[in-house]
Amino acid sequence: MISERLKQTILKELKLDDYDIRPEMRADEVPGWDSLSHINVILAVEKEYGVRFKGVEVLRLKNIGDLQKLVDSKLS
Amino acid sequence: MFYWLDFDRLISLFQYDEWDPLLFSTTFFLFLFFGLLIAHRYLSANKTGRVLLLLVFSFFFYYKVSGLFFLLLIFTSFINYYGAILIGNSKSRTGKKILFFLTIVINLALLGYFKYTNFFIQIINDIGKASLDPLEILLPIGISFYTFKAISYIVEVYWENIEPEKNFLDFTLYISYFANILAGPIDRADAFLPQVKKDYEVRKAEIGMTIYLIAAGLFKKVVIADYISLNFVDRIFDSPLRYTGVENLLSIYGYALQIYCDFSGYSDMAIGISLLLGFKLMENFNSPYQAGSVAEFWRRWHISLSTWLLDYLFRPLQMKFRNLRILGNALALVITFGLCGLWHGANWTFIFWGAVHGFFMAFSIFTAKPRKLFYSRLKLTDSRYVKVFRVIITFHLVAAAWVFFRVADIQTGFDVFKQIFNFFQGEVFMQFVEAYPAILILIIVGYILHFIPKSVEIKTAEIISNTPLIGQAAILALMFWIAAQAKSADLQPFIYFQF
Repeated sequence: MISERLKQTILKELKLDDYDIRPEMRADEVPGWDSLSHINVILAVEKEYGVRFKGVEVLRLKNIGDLQKLVDSKLS
Repeated sequence: MFYWLDFDRLISLFQYDEWDPLLFSTTFFLFLFFGLLIAHRYLSANKTGRVLLLLVFSFFFYYKVSGLFFLLLIFTSFINYYGAILIGNSKSRTGKKILFFLTIVINLALLGYFKYTNFFIQIINDIGKASLDPLEILLPIGISFYTFKAISYIVEVYWENIEPEKNFLDFTLYISYFANILAGPIDRADAFLPQVKKDYEVRKAEIGMTIYLIAAGLFKKVVIADYISLNFVDRIFDSPLRYTGVENLLSIYGYALQIYCDFSGYSDMAIGISLLLGFKLMENFNSPYQAGSVAEFWRRWHISLSTWLLDYLFRPLQMKFRNLRILGNALALVITFGLCGLWHGANWTFIFWGAVHGFFMAFSIFTAKPRKLFYSRLKLTDSRYVKVFRVIITFHLVAAAWVFFRVADIQTGFDVFKQIFNFFQGEVFMQFVEAYPAILILIIVGYILHFIPKSVEIKTAEIISNTPLIGQAAILALMFWIAAQAKSADLQPFIYFQF
């Protein structure tokens, strides 16, 4: 499950009104989330949660569900 | 009894001859491949038998292309096979990191030594005003490709995305597979290895696609690319100042088509051949000149390389520079494309070409917002005319950059543009049409074919699948005949139009 907070962070950064973001979705399945905007989304998530990801951690993300898990692991 | 069979010549066919490398478009390869298919038909039930057959064929193929360097291929397989297993078994994070770096460094060191040593010596000579002699280093063919395959494997193991491959033969086949070793596609281990392990199966639909790909690939490479290059582009780009601007401009269009047909033609043949052997290789080209932006071009051109660069170079750099935001993106782009250029060849022309693309991309991201605003203000956002306009602009940017990919040095590249702007001589065009109609027709036909939608390609492959075997054989035979005609066509005499 993607938390509402993470979903809103992503939508806001990509300037989307609404989009059904599901855990098994890959980044490129979300409109506007390409390799160039990717970094802005990651930065927005880091800022929202006050965390800092390691490069390798982000590079290994397979889908948005993995991102949620990564965020959760940083917060606990 | 066999007095009519010249055994010496027969044996020499199987020996390495550096002036006669084994290419897909040669009759000898055709003959060998046919033999492989027959042997494969009988051995494919046994998995190990199949792998061994493909390995032996791959090593023989490599030997015919690059001589004793097949030993280097085995060495590379060895290093990466054990490197991955050690990384996988390592218990400590530091240990993993050290092994990872070590393996990567060995791969890059081998690539650097064979490919770039003399280039570095040249740079040292230029900077330090020294005069070191270049070393006599032969280049193992395909080293750029198989090294990148190896590196992608090691990185994915390190990132724990895949398990280290336990079977040494399977892994060695991944590294040395003959169809994609010379010119890609740079397939990923997680896509290729499972196909080595699963049961061999070729379906009717795949046979149709194979024939389509082999026929199309041969046509593109031999009929279009080789003909245009030998009879036209080579002459102009070797000494652009001897020709008018019209010819230089036509050469740019010709070369853009040539390089696409050459490369994608070879990829098509590699993918087609592999389908017959039960391997689905990566798509490598997707009508690149239909792109509406340079970014889109790189999602359609040499896809196996651009995704490699994206995953293993651009994204890590992007993460590193993320605090610089858009500037970080731009920096990551310029570095990635500069290295992309360098990968293509040990020459400043390639680095320059890469840097030009890096500049195009950086410019594109810096101006993305203003351009979007501009189009929406003029209510043109989804206009079909804008789409066509963007395709034309993108094509010209890419075609202009290709000049530097082709010429011997950067100055010659600038000479091409100098002639176009200072010495165009438009009236020469009609003389050109009269003297070289074949070239012009090939260029026009080539581009028309390029813009045919993908659905037509797929439909054609389907039709071929449903044609009876005799029809399929006829199509292939016809294409071989056409290719043979193109190959043996006389070299066109050249004419200086400016006199």
